[in-house]
Amino acid sequence: MKGLEIGGHSGKGPANRGAAVVDFFLRVIGIIATLGSAIAMGTTNETLPFFTQFIRFRAKYNDLPTFTFFVVANSVVAAYLVLSLGLSIFHIMKSRAQGSRIALIFFDAGMLALLTAGASAAAAIVYLAHKGNTRANWFAICQQFNSFCERISGSLIGSFGGILIFVLLILLSAVTLARR
Amino acid sequence: MEKSESAKIDIPESSRERKGKAPLLGSPVQYARKGGYKRGVAIFDLILRVSAAAAALGATVGMGTAEQTLPFFTQFFQFQASYDDLPTFSFFVIGMAIVCAYLVLSIPFSVVCIARPLAIAPRLLLIILDTVALTLATSAAGASAAIVYLAHNGNSGANWLAICQQFGDFCQKTSGSVVASFAAVVLLIFLVLLSALALRKH
Repeated sequence: MKGLEIGGHSGKGPANRGAAVVDFFLRVIGIIATLGSAIAMGTTNETLPFFTQFIRFRAKYNDLPTFTFFVVANSVVAAYLVLSLGLSIFHIMKSRAQGSRIALIFFDAGMLALLTAGASAAAAIVYLAHKGNTRANWFAICQQFNSFCERISGSLIGSFGGILIFVLLILLSAVTLARR
Repeated sequence: MEKSESAKIDIPESSRERKGKAPLLGSPVQYARKGGYKRGVAIFDLILRVSAAAAALGATVGMGTAEQTLPFFTQFFQFQASYDDLPTFSFFVIGMAIVCAYLVLSIPFSVVCIARPLAIAPRLLLIILDTVALTLATSAAGASAAIVYLAHNGNSGANWLAICQQFGDFCQKTSGSVVASFAAVVLLIFLVLLSALALRKH
């Protein structure tokens, strides 16, 4: 009887360990994505060669507070992912851990919310920079600052990739918890 | 147990007897103790879900009815502001409407989890869909928060004027909606945590 019990239990063990390894790799990819986004947005600096009396001739990320929030949020999420790598390795070695998995799900959900808020706020401003808004008399600054615009639009990609990774991470942890 | 030479083994019979004497699911007290805290978690989950649905509904309705017409007329500013003048606010209304509808539709699943505290499938479904809803709600809330911030403060570097100085009521309604949607986001995070707590096994 006891032999049957152990046999039935270890059928799920290797699958959970595989899930923990996938979790680790997803976290590494997430670090690269969010850190890349933060750096891409943080190093924006474009100076136009000409000068008019209506438009500023220099654009940087901290001219818009939303982009500052974006850089900060992405950096915080990247730092959290680095710290959670240790817990992920612990889950690979000890696949029966429950309490730490639940804590990881909670913090992953919190970081998902922070990352999504930063990415979507920056996306709203980038959309406004591309299109402008005639009703509010907001002018589309992308028409002047081309490379600044390209940079801020491209940095959104890594951030949205990070969002997808976080959703997958929570999914994996939940399925691993349920299959225990 | 005795092993006789007639190959009659006593051990399986005694364990069968043991099984026959024990009830099928264990004693009722033991079952209630196992599922006890999970039932409490499921009830709390239902309460939070209803609150989050109310917050999302409030955010949707508040933003959807944000409209203001100024009594005067100037040649530089539009004298009418509505939520669909800004595409981000349209995304906000649609996104929060979807989240509200999802939360209302997931209430039966939550009730199932109260009735069957040890069932895993509805819990797992809820945690996955709650995560997707969390992403959508936070996305709508964050984008609109950026636009509301811009409407309050403007941006001198991009020559964007703070429209809140003209449209006070419109600004108040949109800001209130964004606050309500962030409340829904916080509640959704706790819903994910509760589902994870209820998934653990003993």
